[in-house]
Amino acid sequence: MGANEQDRWYLEAAAAYGAALDRLARAYEADQEKRRDLLQEVHLALWRSFQGFDGRCSLRTWVYRVAHNAATSYVIRQRRSRASALVSLEELETLPDPAQNERAAGRRHSLARLLELIQQLKPLDRQVILSYLEGLDAAATAEITGISPGNVATKIHRIKNLLSQRFHQGGNHAE
Amino acid sequence: MQNEFIPDDMCNVWQNQGPGPAPPPLEEIHGKAGKLHSQIHRRNIRESVVSALLVPYFAYCAWTARLPMVQVGNGLLVAGLLYMVYQLYRKASSAAAPADLGWKSCVAFYRAELERQRDALLSVWKWYLGPLVPGLATILAAGSIAGFHRSTLIGTLAILPAGLIALLFWGVGRLNRKAAGQLQKQIDALDALGR
Repeated sequence: MGANEQDRWYLEAAAAYGAALDRLARAYEADQEKRRDLLQEVHLALWRSFQGFDGRCSLRTWVYRVAHNAATSYVIRQRRSRASALVSLEELETLPDPAQNERAAGRRHSLARLLELIQQLKPLDRQVILSYLEGLDAAATAEITGISPGNVATKIHRIKNLLSQRFHQGGNHAE
Repeated sequence: MQNEFIPDDMCNVWQNQGPGPAPPPLEEIHGKAGKLHSQIHRRNIRESVVSALLVPYFAYCAWTARLPMVQVGNGLLVAGLLYMVYQLYRKASSAAAPADLGWKSCVAFYRAELERQRDALLSVWKWYLGPLVPGLATILAAGSIAGFHRSTLIGTLAILPAGLIALLFWGVGRLNRKAAGQLQKQIDALDALGR
């Protein structure tokens, strides 16, 4: 692929999915400074990847795969220097909610808690929950992640339950 | 009375976080790509420089040593180091191409990363520690034999460093095997997800 074609695909992808890539970076890195670096790393990986893009899969699938894979590499590198371990969805269901004694207080607070929850997850569970939150259906999620559609559906069911437990509004959490 | 929570609300909250920063301009991306290329080039040069310094040093030791066995040991160390450099280049050239990030699904990519780490841990003996063993063992044996010529005590004491190095190598190998086992469990779990 020529350099112009590579630039053109990148510009199209950045325009269509720039905001989604920013949200993805937020889900992978809590620290603002490091998040800026991660986002730049993802954009660079995306531009470089278009050298080999031939349209055999959709632009959306390609962008999400590159972004998740680049972010996963980042998580693997960072994990070596971080003390806290990552957990799976199944393990997270059994852990106590750190905000259990707080009453859910508005959109911003919910978002902060949601990010905190996502950032604890292992890469693949993180990818499924992010795809769900981005509004992708199970088939698209399966294509991006490589997890079988049946397993994606099971994971999404678990995610919905988890979100219901952790974020039900004005309920019994504070009691 | 508790309000019913709909998980889809969370999707709206998630998707309406605001536009975020503008994507970096193309010139910046081009600049960073060039910088990345130079970083990789510098890293390769750095690794070669370390070997380039060690190889002549041991070659000089092989040339000037009085005992033939020490000469052989240093020669073997040179051969071991050259083999290590060759393997380093081979591994660097087999790194994933940029387009692999898009061709591979997240499971395949993550699995490949875990496999790469597992294989690196398991093969440390083959390409990193192992090639140095013949040279080190020969030099230590030469030191011990020379020590026994002077007295049994000196000869016995000369064996101690060999024992410590062997213990260190064994410990590294054992820790690596344990870590590789943990990675294999994660790989098996990923395989189950694809089914």
